[in-house]
Amino acid sequence: MDPRTQAYARILVDCIDPQPEWQVLVRSQPPGRPLIEEITRELGRRGARALVRLGFEQAGGTFVREAPMELLGTLSDIERHEIENADSYMAILAPENTRATADIPAERLSTRTAALREPHLPYLMDVKPWVGCYFPTAAAAQDAGLSLPAFEDFLYGAVLIDWHELREKMELIMEHFDRAETVRIIGPETDLTFSLAGRGGKVDALGANMPGGEVFYSPVEDSAEGVITYSEYPACYLGHAVDGVRLQFEAGRIVEASATSDEEFLLGTLDTDEGARRLGEFGIGCNPGIQRHMKNTLFDEKMEGTIHLAVGTGFPQIGGTNASGVHWDMVKDLRAGGRIELDGEVVQESGEWRL
Amino acid sequence: MAAVDPRLEQYARLLVERAVDVQPGWQVMVIGTPLARPLIEEIVLQIARKGAYPLVRLSWVDHEQVPFDSLWATEAPAELLTAMAPAEAKVRGELDSWMVVFAPENTRAGTVLPPERRALLRHAYVEFNQRRMAPGFPWVGCLYPTEALAQDAGMLLSDYADFVFGACLLDWDAEGERMRRFVDRFDRAETVRIGGDGTDLTMALAPGRSCHVDDAHYNLPGGEFFCCPREDSAEGVVEYSEFPAIYQGASCEGVRLRFEGGVVVDASARTNEAFLHGALDTDEGARRIGELGIGCNPGIQRHTRNVLFDEKMDGTIHIAVGFGLAFAGGTNASAVHWDMVKDLRAGGRIELDGEVVQENGVWAL
Repeated sequence: MDPRTQAYARILVDCIDPQPEWQVLVRSQPPGRPLIEEITRELGRRGARALVRLGFEQAGGTFVREAPMELLGTLSDIERHEIENADSYMAILAPENTRATADIPAERLSTRTAALREPHLPYLMDVKPWVGCYFPTAAAAQDAGLSLPAFEDFLYGAVLIDWHELREKMELIMEHFDRAETVRIIGPETDLTFSLAGRGGKVDALGANMPGGEVFYSPVEDSAEGVITYSEYPACYLGHAVDGVRLQFEAGRIVEASATSDEEFLLGTLDTDEGARRLGEFGIGCNPGIQRHMKNTLFDEKMEGTIHLAVGTGFPQIGGTNASGVHWDMVKDLRAGGRIELDGEVVQESGEWRL
Repeated sequence: MAAVDPRLEQYARLLVERAVDVQPGWQVMVIGTPLARPLIEEIVLQIARKGAYPLVRLSWVDHEQVPFDSLWATEAPAELLTAMAPAEAKVRGELDSWMVVFAPENTRAGTVLPPERRALLRHAYVEFNQRRMAPGFPWVGCLYPTEALAQDAGMLLSDYADFVFGACLLDWDAEGERMRRFVDRFDRAETVRIGGDGTDLTMALAPGRSCHVDDAHYNLPGGEFFCCPREDSAEGVVEYSEFPAIYQGASCEGVRLRFEGGVVVDASARTNEAFLHGALDTDEGARRIGELGIGCNPGIQRHTRNVLFDEKMDGTIHIAVGFGLAFAGGTNASAVHWDMVKDLRAGGRIELDGEVVQENGVWAL
């Protein structure tokens, strides 16, 4: 077995920090086997219980395709009880085909998602710990445009790092942002300011995402002014990759939006609801193990030397008030001439910190 | 995706409709391995179309009980092993039906767990086994052909699949009628005597312990009838000289059991005797008989080292040490239920109250 799998399992279990006799839901798909088996043993070692739930597909599957709609919109008592009574859950994405839901009508998928939402609220509100991550499969490597060995190296490079050291480094960065009122992002065709006044940040290290490696905020909702252009990478969301997104903000609201490809999808998403035109998140990528864009937000938003801004729903836990059905993280590279200023002082230039 | 074997649709229908008769709103646990995906997907589809909830539990070990328990239990504190996780126990208390699809990739995978830990884990399963075996609870066990099972059977996978479907896709109403004729005679008898190679064993068939016919309502394949003899009645010797006795991946050749007053007082085996003794020492009930079954499936003519099929083999009987079937009036309690199969086709005999009803595997009824 790849020795990195065991190290990965330990780090993932660290993310939820199970106490003795905790009941931990472990959700995955069959290709995740080596990691699932290690996690099961690791939970045993820590005196916690593993409730392993494997499905052939991550979302969807035969039940979601075939069940009568009224059945699909409800959870069985058993499934509900299990989610409500678990102390934590771990979701390990191990796709054998990342397009496996392509044939399922969106209405069926969203009906199932809606049925699952309520019992998951304690996780969404950070009352109960959870972690989401990937196991490297051929399908995930294919999406990243890599061979499986190269994708494994990339993934393990991003997750097998000294998280305590990175946490300290990110806390230092966060202190500066916490003290600041105004953030200005400058780069090619980009000059955007927004306010963090009264807002505290959050460091993602051994938390709900693996890899973690970002400091993030919910900016003041009516504060964004200026332009941002995502010229370096496509903005990826729900299977779409939109090139050259350019957004112009006035008083926190997007007043003009364009893209060089798939513009229709961009505009449609921004028109989803009122909140979809406002910022829900500002994040700063700090993971030194991630140096390339993968068209996979979980990784891309952590890339060192980048920032990301999400249009759509904010994080109430850190003061965000924007509500929306959308949360689209768009990643901007600052390593080639970009700059971050806090209250007029340059704190990062070309991806290098000057704190 | 490769074309699905059309026999699977028929197989799934037997499971969902005939064996457990899924009703709208039911919560049906479906346990299996990822290898059984074609059958499990078909089962899920049919359960969904009935308006019921499938609760699929996949793992590579521990088909019968809690997925991944063998791995977890190798590392977990021993004191946690004897009870299920509360959420798991709750699930098993509320299920409306339970299906297990045996589809191992390695029939010895369970040996990863040391026997003493296995014994602790068995206690965690007692409560659900009791619920499952209570009258009226719909459950079914079946098998999906895999390389590992074919290997154990000494066959090619394609031949093995033909064997499996040949044993399962029968006219079960006709089979049921045939078996009920034998059962009528058994239900009138007071004692049954099994004679054969190294074997002369007598058991009492008490009133209220009538035989049950499995015409694909408990297992697929069905093809047996069974009863719970009186727990204190077994006297004599049975020797399983024809086939190994197989339990939880372990195999014992030449098992010989001597009974007095219903209890195994002497047990030996030519191979793996320590495992036999360990299983019999699990608890008090492990030394008493929990089931006598008579195999009647005409599609099963060979031993394939898989009890689900072997116990149905036409011309064999099987006797289980361990827990009795409560729905059949059995009272023996144990964490064990080990079916051992004896071939009667070469010189064996079944007598009811002194009358020979089967000889050399051929019915005289």
